[in-house]
Amino acid sequence: MRLYVDSSRCSGCNACRVACSLSVFGENNPKKASLVIEPHFPAPGVYKVRVCTQCGDCAAVCPTEAIKQDAQGAYYVEFSECNLCEACVPECPEEVMFVRPELADTAWKCTACGDCVAVCGTSALWLGEKEAVAA
Amino acid sequence: MNGYGGHILRVNLATGQVKKEPTPADLARDYLGGRGFGIYFLLKEVPKGADPLGPENKLIISSGPLSGLLVAGGGKCDWTCKAPLTGGYASASMGGHFTAELKYAGLDSIILEGISPKPVYLFIDDDKIELRDASEYWGKGSMTVEKMMKDKFGEEFQIAVIGPAGENMVSFAHINHDFGRQAGRGGVGAVMGSKKVKAIVVRGTKSVPVADMEAYRKAGMALYKACKDAEGLQEWTRYGTTIVTSWCNEVGALPTRNFSAGSFEGAQGIYGQTMREKIVITDKGCFGCPCPCGKYSKTKKYNSYVEGPEYETIGLLGSNVGIDDIEAVAQANLLCDEMGIDTISAGNVIAWAMECYEKGIFTKQDTGGIELKFGNADAVFKMIEMITKKEGLGALLADGVKKASQEIGKGTEKFAIQVKGMEQSAYQTHNATAMLLAYMTCDVGAHHNRAWAITYDIQVGRDKVVPEKVARVIWLQHFRPMFDVLGACRLQWVELGIDRDLYVPLLEAITGIHRTWEDIEKVGERIWNLTRLYWARENAGFGRAWDMPAPRFYEEPPTSGVTKGQYTKLEDVNKLLDMYYEQRGWDSNGLPKPETLEKLGIPQELVA
Amino acid sequence: MSAIFRLSGSLKDVVGGKDEYIIEAGHTVREQLLALGIVPETVAMVSVNGAMETKDYVIQDGDTVRVLAVVGGG
Repeated sequence: MRLYVDSSRCSGCNACRVACSLSVFGENNPKKASLVIEPHFPAPGVYKVRVCTQCGDCAAVCPTEAIKQDAQGAYYVEFSECNLCEACVPECPEEVMFVRPELADTAWKCTACGDCVAVCGTSALWLGEKEAVAA
Repeated sequence: MNGYGGHILRVNLATGQVKKEPTPADLARDYLGGRGFGIYFLLKEVPKGADPLGPENKLIISSGPLSGLLVAGGGKCDWTCKAPLTGGYASASMGGHFTAELKYAGLDSIILEGISPKPVYLFIDDDKIELRDASEYWGKGSMTVEKMMKDKFGEEFQIAVIGPAGENMVSFAHINHDFGRQAGRGGVGAVMGSKKVKAIVVRGTKSVPVADMEAYRKAGMALYKACKDAEGLQEWTRYGTTIVTSWCNEVGALPTRNFSAGSFEGAQGIYGQTMREKIVITDKGCFGCPCPCGKYSKTKKYNSYVEGPEYETIGLLGSNVGIDDIEAVAQANLLCDEMGIDTISAGNVIAWAMECYEKGIFTKQDTGGIELKFGNADAVFKMIEMITKKEGLGALLADGVKKASQEIGKGTEKFAIQVKGMEQSAYQTHNATAMLLAYMTCDVGAHHNRAWAITYDIQVGRDKVVPEKVARVIWLQHFRPMFDVLGACRLQWVELGIDRDLYVPLLEAITGIHRTWEDIEKVGERIWNLTRLYWARENAGFGRAWDMPAPRFYEEPPTSGVTKGQYTKLEDVNKLLDMYYEQRGWDSNGLPKPETLEKLGIPQELVA
Repeated sequence: MSAIFRLSGSLKDVVGGKDEYIIEAGHTVREQLLALGIVPETVAMVSVNGAMETKDYVIQDGDTVRVLAVVGGG
């Protein structure tokens, strides 16, 4: 399972990021969300959204094995096992691996929980199967 | 405190001192937030008779308990002050993302006090709060400055900024945010400019606490689901408020050539469908909104980007000035945003000037050579610039249509379409008595957002003058503005028709205080009476005369269009007011009776 | 020749509860509303196959027409 996004449908409302911070941290704090919305204004006047593809590159380099995979194939950070080394951050092809010590004492990422999909009024987000990756 | 940022930030611009105080729990309990906090501080702290552009006026910016949370539409903040445009109460509601950021910075209100000796901007980054030199930004346009600041500080910062018109204290200058949202009416931008504050820049990284996390998530998700399942969601999102343009034209509610008619022969050129086909790129939304009304557009003719135009701007800077080209309306919208003036007041006062010109009251000498006729888009663009700079005729228009018409005289007051000094917004009301009453009694002047009653007129019988219509207007005035108090948008309820009871468990789960809509509307009624008392306190002789509509609506019926020949008799205008005052518990001059104030628990010291 | 005519919101109650009708194509939306007993002025918006149209639109074979009552305004 992974999240998909059609950026052309994004309105920049950030409801997804509120739902995400609630899901991952139990907080109302969209800066602690696991997806990124980039506004491009005044021109060309669009939002570009980056989401986790659950590729697992972060897990592959984590020295403490804090990034684990759940039964649906999504990767999540086990907070107590993260040492904030930041090895995962540059590995992420989508730049959606988050380490911000001033906000949290752990790295965090998308767990494909789907709460963002539930609050997206323009149906820009949806959950689906991961694409098959060539070996 | 659950649901709140927790602090009131006071900024003394004369001394440069900033001070954070805890938000009083009883203020939150009794006034909730948003414009509730605004009227509380306005009455308590801005002395009677204060000059709106002087050091005693305060600009109070307030978020609300529904802002910045898992609330569909939780993206509104209120800007309250004494109004330069009217000398009365100003409260402007701004969308975008600013209100959420205030909460994350631990703030419920910012109160700007006094006047800065030189141009500054207020910079807030969590607990780091500073007044910084704004000389590199002063004189520049709103969008230009927002882009400069986003580039400098980063996307996490939210910015509210005035344009040159605010700096020049044009009486209907507005405040811009997020490349297309505004605190629009009453001259709130002029107050910010009078204080020499160019912008407020804010970022917060704190979370907002709620009373019952589980109940909150359940209720929040339920409200989102109701919005997503709503009938008409797709059409609404596609067109935003431009969805009503064709309907307004059809029923004779589209203001045309300075409200001289209610339908426009060129309306098709400015319909929502036309706009969508020609210029719209992105459906742009405010914080937390599942039904984004913003129609971010790019014009081919002018090669420019603008958020909008939305219905009000289409009415006032389109049909009302005789323009049938949506791209020209979009360009006028952009100029107003960049210069920093309210599109509604601008379109209204320019239309008045056009009528003066066409009647020979103004000549080319007065207009500086401009052919100020209905339908001349270039004239509109030029007037926006001249108003901003207070140049030539622009200096007269910058004072607003009421003062301008009083200055010129020659009968021009009769077609100054305003109430209490505020230019009427985009609904023609020759023959729509509930909407007419709504405009007459709105607490900031002739604005539509308190009681939008025109469909009620169409459904029930447009010329009926009956107690039911009055009751409807009063109920709307107690209910709709409460969204501004709570810090959320009303359009999810208004446009999608969702069940408003969905908000009740959500507000309770957030604040920990149980409130029904009846409780909330009681606060609304109290606020309504407080703002009425504010007008009376600040304006000698305030009363019925201030509630009268533009004479055009009872003296000059349209000579064309759907409402040709229709008007409301003056005796019916007064009958509407008689019924309104009676139902409100006000005397025959429109002032709250002592027993009404007592019933509402309004403390005497607040209105002395 | 037929089309689908859908009523939303309070319009359903005006014509007695049904929200979808199979109708004959070839009439304008306005004519169709009048035939159902709905005052055209109370309809805010007409959408044909997802795109907004005016009440003078002539309904074509296979169209899905939705009419929305005026709701709450700005």
